[in-house]
Amino acid sequence: MKKKKIKSSLGSKIFTILNSLFMIAFVIITLYPVLNTVAISFNDGIDAVRGGIYLWPRKFAIKNYETVLAMENLIIGAKITVARTLIGTVSSLIVNALLAYVVSRKRFLFKSQLSLFWVITMYVNGGLIPVFLLYRNLHLTGTFWVYVVPGMVSAWNMLVLRTYMLGLPDSLEESAQLDGAGYMTIFWKIISPLCKPVYATIVLFVAVGQWNSWFDAMLYNRMKTEYTTLQYELMKLLSSVMQQSGSAASASERGSAAAAITPLTIRAAATVVTMLPIICLYPFLQRYFVTGLTIGGVKE
Amino acid sequence: MARVKQKKDKRITWKEVKRQKSLLIIAFFVTVYGFIFYYWPLTGWVMAFQNYKPAKGILGSKFVGLDKFKFLFQDAAFIRVIRNTFCMGALNLVTTTIMAILFAVLLNEIRSTIAKKLVQTISYMPHFLSWIIVTGILHDALSSTGIINDLLMRSGVITNAINFFAHPKYFWPIVAFANCWKETGWNAIIYLAAITAIDPSLYEAASIDGASRLQKIRYITLPGIKPTIMILLLMNIGNVLNAGFEVQYLLGNGLVQSVSQTIDIYVLNWGISQNDFSLGTAAGIFKSAVSIALIVICNYLAKRAGEERLF
Amino acid sequence: MKKKVLTLLLASALTVASLAGCGGKADDGAATNSAASDSGSDAAADTDGGSDADTSASSGEVTDFTMFITMPGSEINSDNEIAQMIADKWGVKIKETWLTGQTASEATGTLIASGEYPDYIDSDDMSLLVDAGALVPLDDYIDQYPEFKDTWFTPEEWEKFRQPDGHIYWINPFGNTMGESTATTHNDEAFWIQVRVLEWAGYPEINTLDEYFKLLEDYVAANPTMEDGTPNIPYTILCEDWRYFCIENAGQFLAGYPNDGSVIVNKDTMTIEDYNTSEDTKKYFQELNSAYNKGLIDTEFATQTYDEYIAKLSTGRVLGMCDQWWDFAYTVNDVFKQQGLDEQGCNYVPLGLTTEEGMVNRWHTYDDTVNQASGVAITVDCKDPDKAFKFIVDCAMDQELHDLRFWGVKDVDYNVDADGLYYRTDEQRMECADTSYQASHLCQYSYMPQWGGTSRDGKNANKPEEQTSEFQNGMAAPLKNCFDAYGARNYVDMIGSVVETNGPWFPMYSYSNNFTTDTPGGVAWAKMGEIKHEYLPKVVMGADFDSAWEDYMAQYESCKPEDFLGEMQAILDTFK
Repeated sequence: MKKKKIKSSLGSKIFTILNSLFMIAFVIITLYPVLNTVAISFNDGIDAVRGGIYLWPRKFAIKNYETVLAMENLIIGAKITVARTLIGTVSSLIVNALLAYVVSRKRFLFKSQLSLFWVITMYVNGGLIPVFLLYRNLHLTGTFWVYVVPGMVSAWNMLVLRTYMLGLPDSLEESAQLDGAGYMTIFWKIISPLCKPVYATIVLFVAVGQWNSWFDAMLYNRMKTEYTTLQYELMKLLSSVMQQSGSAASASERGSAAAAITPLTIRAAATVVTMLPIICLYPFLQRYFVTGLTIGGVKE
Repeated sequence: MARVKQKKDKRITWKEVKRQKSLLIIAFFVTVYGFIFYYWPLTGWVMAFQNYKPAKGILGSKFVGLDKFKFLFQDAAFIRVIRNTFCMGALNLVTTTIMAILFAVLLNEIRSTIAKKLVQTISYMPHFLSWIIVTGILHDALSSTGIINDLLMRSGVITNAINFFAHPKYFWPIVAFANCWKETGWNAIIYLAAITAIDPSLYEAASIDGASRLQKIRYITLPGIKPTIMILLLMNIGNVLNAGFEVQYLLGNGLVQSVSQTIDIYVLNWGISQNDFSLGTAAGIFKSAVSIALIVICNYLAKRAGEERLF
Repeated sequence: MKKKVLTLLLASALTVASLAGCGGKADDGAATNSAASDSGSDAAADTDGGSDADTSASSGEVTDFTMFITMPGSEINSDNEIAQMIADKWGVKIKETWLTGQTASEATGTLIASGEYPDYIDSDDMSLLVDAGALVPLDDYIDQYPEFKDTWFTPEEWEKFRQPDGHIYWINPFGNTMGESTATTHNDEAFWIQVRVLEWAGYPEINTLDEYFKLLEDYVAANPTMEDGTPNIPYTILCEDWRYFCIENAGQFLAGYPNDGSVIVNKDTMTIEDYNTSEDTKKYFQELNSAYNKGLIDTEFATQTYDEYIAKLSTGRVLGMCDQWWDFAYTVNDVFKQQGLDEQGCNYVPLGLTTEEGMVNRWHTYDDTVNQASGVAITVDCKDPDKAFKFIVDCAMDQELHDLRFWGVKDVDYNVDADGLYYRTDEQRMECADTSYQASHLCQYSYMPQWGGTSRDGKNANKPEEQTSEFQNGMAAPLKNCFDAYGARNYVDMIGSVVETNGPWFPMYSYSNNFTTDTPGGVAWAKMGEIKHEYLPKVVMGADFDSAWEDYMAQYESCKPEDFLGEMQAILDTFK
């Protein structure tokens, strides 16, 4: 008996060590590429091309950031991205919450039909080209609203909200009704305040989606640089860097020693600028998405 | 109590409709919206049976029956594209699921709460990065001067840098790795929640019986989260076909196109680049049909699995 | 507290919403404007004669046009100085948008699908745009400007642009020479080599591919790195999208034929021949394959994008490649100048290689080439087609505008000497090679009509790089020494192609470029392209050349190239 215990604790120790090593490796693999990008973004351009930069810049420079922040399109993209994230998130939350509220009312006349109507949309869709033609006919292409209107209602988000609302006690609604409150009053005054955690989750999901999207900008607003988005600008930058390949050095800096900028470092700087807001924010929102995913994943 | 019951038995009355006016108005607008944005595009499927010309529109274009579908299935490239979509989807699903479970189980074994919290927070981070950023980072890491070639060359495994994006054999693993890197921590959230829900007394009992930690994982933790694993797997199988666009689009190139192109990219190539709306739509319909079939099968299986769980 | 945050969010959302709303409204305004100006089109057509107050007001207005070009390029700043000068005088300001992040046809397809077009467009897929009804027929406009019509193209050339529906939709802006040709550059394809390599070897005669790769091998063995320690790359190949001509079509030149692009034309028998399967092409790929296996070819060649390729060349590390001058030289030479790499002998010179010694060298095209497959077009969304077309004419016909676009501002970007000859100082040359100066000051509108050769004043070249004195003075010493060593005055002499006039069908690629998948030949052409994209790099990288070549040939034959060749033959037969 005694012997066995020692053995198991030895095994336990080995396990702990191996497990810790695994976690350390995991953290390194996750963090290294990002930190490496940050290091490159602060390095001198020509120097960086030689490779061998790991976690710390070798020849420090902030010229990359000066260049990136001076790019007209990137700034427009940033503004549009902020706008679409704000408008898209707020409108999507309101509409989805209202819809979820309606279908979660036990006495609503078309409760099951309306749910089914939306669940079907999760699985059947027209496909790229019919959707494209629809947006075109609705004159959504070439406008800002193509980022906001089409994705406003999402069946998945609606279901997460519905699940949460169904979990609230019925008595709340009933007692309010006895006090003469209408459905809308109940929604704003009673249900919504209780739904704050799940609202936060939805806000997070929608906001991240909005912040990271680029394909719609490329497809629907190809000619409208005034509606470009941050990620699309980054995508263009990652695949095309010709504009910046020459140096913008002043006369005194010319020659082979010029502090030139190169695609590599510019890309790194733009990447950092684009991911910074989200990386700074997400740790504070952890508890919301953990709740949301658990509701959405396990119950639905 | 009696009052509640009475209410539930009520039939649809004019009064009730009036009371629900606000709900009905909302339902009406949302349904109109849904019809326009989700159901109306389905009428565009007509294009798949036409030789659609943008200048003529749906009404003016000529009907060609199933010609476009015939072309699809006679096109070796389309058959390859189907294979790629399925294989990459399946590979991604399997690897991301295994990684997420492994990570969740092992993280659960970490004793220090602070370390656990820290590792978990870090593990979420890639999920919030866009595919643009992830593929950009990956591209740099795998370039000839990137970290991977650097390590391989230093350790003497290879003498010359490998161009990972030039060889078809590396492409699927790269895509699978990218998905794992991005989603492991995120997918683990649900499994961690499921693990927390396991009755702690089971572990206590096992400890008393002298079970090792590996044994506890094998006989308690994994069986405990098995239902979650099954449900998530089945749910995700339905989405296998939807998982093949951004990464492949951003990482692919001419040299690996035979293994990198997916149905969505095929639709983009024919529908947008070649401007053959009909062919693009036909390929899209095929994808939708297969998706729905998969979902129906999986739902059936999920239900059966659920029933088994009841007994 | 939380309530406040939400209110704040909502408030800001509303502000942005109203802002975006304004944007939409402005757009509508522009649309109505265009409708209005349609009716007053005659007024816009004659700009200078404005006695009537009404007309002068409308002609003095600056119209902002957008232009999309399916090529990568550099966007100029919105406050670009010369663009503003052009706007002030000619009433038009163009915002050019270039291809980024997509293939050319994907970008064009996106425009067609969305039905939103820029005012001007220059695309590789013109026939798709015509099919979609996106372009304005230009015939009537062309007739309104008889002088332009007569000068720009001959009647036969105009006919080449006529589409099956009987209209002309676009005008190729390139390939016209005014007065005497002053070409100093070899604006065509060649195997290029850095002058430092030739200098090191004592300027040997290099006539065949064998000798070329031997020289690269010897040089890199003796000089593995550049002066600053960066490793040299002996040879790289661009394979991206349509620019894969860099790997694909060298076979036709090596066999001694001119750049028909997609096929070889045998003049004696008037037949179309396929260079893809020819012995010369096979030998060329065998050469590349053995070079690759010797480690002479950049391992990243097959997957690099155009921009990565240009960035790589710009570092000066690449000793040689096969490419068209216009595809790399403008950007790369500017960077060389800026970085002082031209003084290190990094400039590229062309070599007129053939498979065997003594074969005909047809790399350089001496006569004007009219590519009727593409050009500048006006779309149906154009705010003011009359004014847009007038500006195209101005670009071609107004020397002052032309000088402003290509030479810049007098006394700022160039000076005029006592004889009226334009020249630039070293400082001005350096300034003009600076990308930030190009963005803020210079404005070429490089896809608008332009001339080569001598300008209307009879003295100066239309473009600075063609001004003999400018060319001489702008050369770095190593380049000059190289030319001297070979007894060449310029790039054209350097490549030393024979002078021979091409047939009226030349270039055949301008026909194949417009093939669509509506015909079997077009389908074959598209499939051949795909197979070549995939297999040519494989052939180069194959460990065993013969089996790789056989694989490729088997795939190639399965595309039914005979369909394509047959349709090309039919086109050629019309010239019999």
